[in-house]
Amino acid sequence: MYVYLYDNFLNNRKYNSILKQIEVRLVEFGIAGKILRLNNYIDAKPIIDDEIKRGAKNIIIVGNDRTFGHILSRGATCDCVFGFLPIGPDNDIADVLGIPEGIDAADVLARRRKQKLDVGWFNNRFFVSQLHVPPAKVRVIYDEKFQVSTPFKMEVVVCNFQPFYWKRSNKDKEEFVVHPQDDKLEAFLRPLTKTGWFGYKYEDPSIFPFEEMEVIGEDGPFVVEADGKSTKEVKVKIRLAKDKIDMIVGRDRKF
Amino acid sequence: MIFRRQNQTAEPIEEMEEQIEEQPVQSEDNVDTVVGPSVNVEGDFASEGNIVVKGTVTGSVHTSKNLLVEQGAKIVANVRAGSATIAGEVRGNMKIKDYLELASTARVVGDIEVKTIVMEAGALIFGKVAMPGLEAAETRSRGRSRKNEEVIDSQDE
Repeated sequence: MYVYLYDNFLNNRKYNSILKQIEVRLVEFGIAGKILRLNNYIDAKPIIDDEIKRGAKNIIIVGNDRTFGHILSRGATCDCVFGFLPIGPDNDIADVLGIPEGIDAADVLARRRKQKLDVGWFNNRFFVSQLHVPPAKVRVIYDEKFQVSTPFKMEVVVCNFQPFYWKRSNKDKEEFVVHPQDDKLEAFLRPLTKTGWFGYKYEDPSIFPFEEMEVIGEDGPFVVEADGKSTKEVKVKIRLAKDKIDMIVGRDRKF
Repeated sequence: MIFRRQNQTAEPIEEMEEQIEEQPVQSEDNVDTVVGPSVNVEGDFASEGNIVVKGTVTGSVHTSKNLLVEQGAKIVANVRAGSATIAGEVRGNMKIKDYLELASTARVVGDIEVKTIVMEAGALIFGKVAMPGLEAAETRSRGRSRKNEEVIDSQDE
């Protein structure tokens, strides 16, 4: 049995036609199922658990990167197969998973090419796409072996599925992309250095693949944003949880 | 007609619905470990992939693949690597398995053990350079000459 979790933003009328087309295609394939509409404040885990008790075997996320992160950050431990139908703006993860946007995603779903995926874990929570620490005075310890520090404020980005896009400065038109690899998390550190009286500039990023790392605030708590949710922490331990999610992926995936 | 069309599309799907457990595909773009400028790394810095150093590293550095030390970068550590290209400063002993290239801006203070070395004019080394290939050849030639002597002795007897 299939259960489809629709994001809140899909209530907008402009998505009606694409949703109708996809629903028709799913009926053709014989994989249509129950549709549940989420809102921002609903914890996905109890809903998924309830549906699994009622016999659901496949949970399909319908929305964008935010929806994907929101559902899997809590639901990663659920015993079911996850699928993804990317619709709307900000869909970088779908590209990594090899799932095309719109109606063609239903074909990928019907093929049921399953693969176990790794997720990140930090302070009792999972994150799927990206963890971001805005510039702050922090030091980072990798695998309890070596420490990375800088005299300046430092931005930390840990990528799991979502590629890391960066520019040398805000004015720079050239954008660099680093695609994450599987089996490890990638941490990108960028010191924010002062130039002139009021100017600040990001240095080129340092890149460290790792399995466990600790971010420690040197001047008290710092902000951590994971899958769109922000919290304030003094110390964050980030780990890789291997083969946590059973996911339906496309042939053109990037891992 | 509509129902027929539906049936036509539905047929291959039944086959498709067979669950395919796929083996993971190797990613094409390997992310290197990069120590960026104005970043300081302290401790046992080890990586399975290539390492690029643009900042400062203190402690020890170990990789089985390539190490690139860019101009302006500084390593105060013992280094073990598969191959290395140095354009910055290294203070410590280096043990390179395969190939070492020193650019004109390279400064090395420490002993080097390497199989093949390439130096540009202007590169500075303060230390001992040992190339195990020559040592092995010498021992081989010594061994051969000893054997020859023994054969000659036995013939004389």
